[in-house]
Amino acid sequence: MNDRTEHPSEILQRFSRRNLYVVLVIVLLLGATGIALTVSPQGAVARSSQRAAWFIPVAIAIIAGVQTSLARRRWDPKSEEVQLILNDEWRRTNMARASRAALVTVLVAQTPLAWTFGFLTELPPVRLAFAMAISTITLGLATLLALFLIFDRE
Amino acid sequence: MTETLRNAIKVERARRDLTQADLAVMAGVTRRSVNAIETGRMVPSVLLALKIARALGVTVETIFRLDDASG
Repeated sequence: MNDRTEHPSEILQRFSRRNLYVVLVIVLLLGATGIALTVSPQGAVARSSQRAAWFIPVAIAIIAGVQTSLARRRWDPKSEEVQLILNDEWRRTNMARASRAALVTVLVAQTPLAWTFGFLTELPPVRLAFAMAISTITLGLATLLALFLIFDRE
Repeated sequence: MTETLRNAIKVERARRDLTQADLAVMAGVTRRSVNAIETGRMVPSVLLALKIARALGVTVETIFRLDDASG
């Protein structure tokens, strides 16, 4: 049975899921850009990112606009519906599962990442550490968000 | 031996002509939680099981039971 209503918590949950998809894409884009800049500081990505620097304030303005367009609702942490969502057992269970899986993924990926950056790219030690850090953070966050979205679907 | 938690939330809801959203509001949880429990994707905590039972006006044992599948 698929009961659909317009309870405030339903609207907030749908909006939250949509936001998480956007955050996932942003994390992947930033991660890929960061790795590309670290591996090849003079490459095409570096030149493109210098030209596109003006877009950062525009992107912040767009995100702020989207955040305030939730059918004239705001994410008030003290409101009843937000508390209901934050304390939701299904959501917490899914977040815990996604967190565990993301941690295991990050730990397992360390050796392949080190091998990839250490042997294939021949980076100096500092840039190698940066590349490892950026790729680990990106992988962890992307896995966490993606798995949460998969587990939390109906 | 495998133990599976079965529930009769859908039956009890239908008996009272309640939607998942109605039950969620009555129990003070989200509709997604009710849906996840009803479809067997989530095993609720004791607290949540008691909340749902109280909202439906029945005991926890009326809604939840263990099925033992030997094998």
